[in-house]
Amino acid sequence: MVAIHSFWDERKLLVFVALIIVAAGVSLLEIDAAKHGRQSVLDVAAGALFTPLQSGLTRVVDAIGTSVHDVVHSGEYAARNQALQDKVNTLAAANARLQGDAAENRDLRRLLAMKQAMAGDALVADVVGYMPEATRREVTIDRGSRDGVHRDSVVVSGDGLVGHVLSTGPHEARVLLVIDPDSNVPAYLQRSRSWGIVTGTWQHAKMKYIDQNARLQTGDIVVTGHGEIYPGGIPIGRVREIDRKDNALYQVAVLDPAVDFHSLVHVLVYTSP
Amino acid sequence: MNADLVRSAPPRVLFGPRRPVDTGAGAPPRFSMLLLVAVAAVLCQATFGHAWSLRGAHVSLLTVLVVWTGLRCGPTTGGWLGLLGGALEDALGGGGADVIGMTLVGFLSGLLSSRFFADSLTAVVAAVAGGTIVRNAVAYAVLEIAYGDRGSYHRIAHATAWEVLLNCTLAALVVLALRWWVDRR
Repeated sequence: MVAIHSFWDERKLLVFVALIIVAAGVSLLEIDAAKHGRQSVLDVAAGALFTPLQSGLTRVVDAIGTSVHDVVHSGEYAARNQALQDKVNTLAAANARLQGDAAENRDLRRLLAMKQAMAGDALVADVVGYMPEATRREVTIDRGSRDGVHRDSVVVSGDGLVGHVLSTGPHEARVLLVIDPDSNVPAYLQRSRSWGIVTGTWQHAKMKYIDQNARLQTGDIVVTGHGEIYPGGIPIGRVREIDRKDNALYQVAVLDPAVDFHSLVHVLVYTSP
Repeated sequence: MNADLVRSAPPRVLFGPRRPVDTGAGAPPRFSMLLLVAVAAVLCQATFGHAWSLRGAHVSLLTVLVVWTGLRCGPTTGGWLGLLGGALEDALGGGGADVIGMTLVGFLSGLLSSRFFADSLTAVVAAVAGGTIVRNAVAYAVLEIAYGDRGSYHRIAHATAWEVLLNCTLAALVVLALRWWVDRR
């Protein structure tokens, strides 16, 4: 007699039913928890047990992946780094050029505004040199007698009075700055209309011969008075200190020049009053 | 390995004769080892599965392992591994949809073990394809029953097709690797 083995023999059937019942129980547990928006006991246990493991695993694999990626792409990174460095250098040079252009543009705009504010013919000149030994406060400009520049031509920048021309060549001229001790400019205080003479002190300027009764304040603006050389109304500087003595005939004011004489580039030369 | 086969007269089963007994295959792996690998597989899936997606489908390491275990160790071991692995998947975010399907896959693969070898590339790949479809079908049914009509049939069907491809590729690689490893020993 041949024994017939059935596919669904009892033992397998028992295992199958048991497994399905357990699986269904687990599934219902999970579904119930999910439907109520909470975690099941299994979720909590698995989370407590495996979340640190997952965290560590992620960190380790990320670290390895990053290292491998860096090693594999090191050549590419080096090339890209070099290209970016070149680009940075190019852009930095362009940026410096643009900043220079912007500063020049600002200077020229101020010069233009000064020219429009004053009467007379004027031409733009560039400062091409300073006195090599600094024995006098002078600068050299690139315009001379052939351009119409002559002795005592007034030189201004966009900020105020620079000085006047001492001597001219055909293509250049030397300008005595207003901060030179030999410079004497008739001037008045814009607020109080008190007159005086502005002369240089090498680094700054001072206004002498101010009436003893004039009421000065620090910050007062000093401008040129109309005279033999200078037209009126050109800013010279602001009062920084006031020296008033009761037994003196006049007051003296120390001025901060309106012009930064260390960074003169473009100036305006008046060739006719 | 085929030279070691002892072709005895097999008893009859439902779908035809039993496979020959593979006397050279050695002892089946211990369940604790299989469980450890299953936990590692689920952890890998939960941690890095998002990085391995292909058109919305993720490779299921656990499905491949459970199918192979069923083929290698029989329906009881396959079923238990599927149950525990599926429960862990659900605990880590399956929402109760995975455990029944995975248990079924393990058990059904185990039923095939009486007819196919676990190192047969064709058998394993076909079983993995079938297992993936069964698991996703059961998961879809559970989701629809438990949470109501979600209208996700097309999305799941599409993802299942790609998952079959991914799982079968992985299964083929695993079988080839196991063969190479056994040959070296």
